[in-house]
Amino acid sequence: MDFEPKILGIACNWCTYTGADLAGTTRLKYPQNVRTVRVMCSSRINPSFIIRAFQLGADGVLVGGCHPGDCHYGTGNLYARRKLAVTKKILEFAGMEPKRFRVEWISASEGKKYAEVVEEFTNDVKALGPQTKFKIRKD
Amino acid sequence: MTAMKKIEENLRKEAKRLLEGGEVSVVLAYGRGYDENHPMPFAARTVEDVDSLVFNEYCTFNLARYLPKYPPKTKIAVAVKAADSRAVVQLIQEEKVRREDLVILGIPVTGMKDQKTGEVIDNKTTCNMANPVLYDILLGDEIHGFKGGSPYDVLAELEGMDHDARMAFWKKEFEKCIRCFACRKACPMCYCDPCFMDASRPRWADKSPTPDGHLMYHLTRFYHLAGRCIDCGECSRACPVDIPLYLFHKKLAKECEDMFQQAAGMKIEDKPAMVNYGNQDSDEMLK
Repeated sequence: MDFEPKILGIACNWCTYTGADLAGTTRLKYPQNVRTVRVMCSSRINPSFIIRAFQLGADGVLVGGCHPGDCHYGTGNLYARRKLAVTKKILEFAGMEPKRFRVEWISASEGKKYAEVVEEFTNDVKALGPQTKFKIRKD
Repeated sequence: MTAMKKIEENLRKEAKRLLEGGEVSVVLAYGRGYDENHPMPFAARTVEDVDSLVFNEYCTFNLARYLPKYPPKTKIAVAVKAADSRAVVQLIQEEKVRREDLVILGIPVTGMKDQKTGEVIDNKTTCNMANPVLYDILLGDEIHGFKGGSPYDVLAELEGMDHDARMAFWKKEFEKCIRCFACRKACPMCYCDPCFMDASRPRWADKSPTPDGHLMYHLTRFYHLAGRCIDCGECSRACPVDIPLYLFHKKLAKECEDMFQQAAGMKIEDKPAMVNYGNQDSDEMLK
């Protein structure tokens, strides 16, 4: 059987989540591997969420936010960019494959980009195989 | 040795002057331990206490750790080496202490030694600077022309490994963790109350040393110190099971310097990197 990765998507309410909505309403086809969680802003994301997701068996984590400068709250994603950049370095230095974590800026009108990013990311994670490095539960 | 003795003499002299004049209510410095090679942090509150102050090459402790513990507006004199002075600056940046409450006794020194191993720690576990970046009174002569290589040289081996090998390395190190929280206790930047490890809702990780909690505790702690760690190396020296925590902290300090063009605790005017953003920030950092 083919390996179907479990991917956690964390999407900002104003841009990426709406963009995902648009991808759906325009009936674009993209893999179903992403379980999306909506947050009010990408800066709401605590890096521990990402570590926790990997511990609970996520094979990849995709974070979506507004384009820098377009944040609904003005500067939220500018802080988020620094936080997530450091998170990426931590995962990498701890030994996680960097391709399992991706941050992408997707605006509300970019349904097509959302579909493309999900497709690309799912293929990347699929190629890496199941994530076992952080996983703590063997189920 | 003479330089150290001179610092000790000056330390006693200045501490006595400050306490007698009532300028400060406490002098944070080093006192006698059970032998010469094991001095301890010591808070001198009276003129009589001053005679117990010592300074030698084993006085590695970062006394900035105790500053946020005092009630606001307490006048404190604190003895700092180079890395410790960066911790003081970082605490001032984070508004945990006020500059006007402090009398900073700078100690220019190199060749400090680990109490456990007796090794010189200059650029291995600490930030390899000789002179404090901020001080009111300098207790010794400023050191010129000190070169000991980059503090990040020790990272070369780990950076050269592939991801799997690095994961194996850290798993092996973290497995030793007995969750005594000595690293947290020794760290001048770990002042959160409550710490995320003490929070019960959500309970991020087990407080007891279960394998599940190792990664969560250490990685989150590394994240919390990213861009703030001033590379004093106290966490690794405090660790009873010798986990080389300083390697991870150094790596993040290096990356933050590259990405945000700002080293922790160098200037009072700076804003801490992780609660700030810059015009020069680009998406390159997410690659």
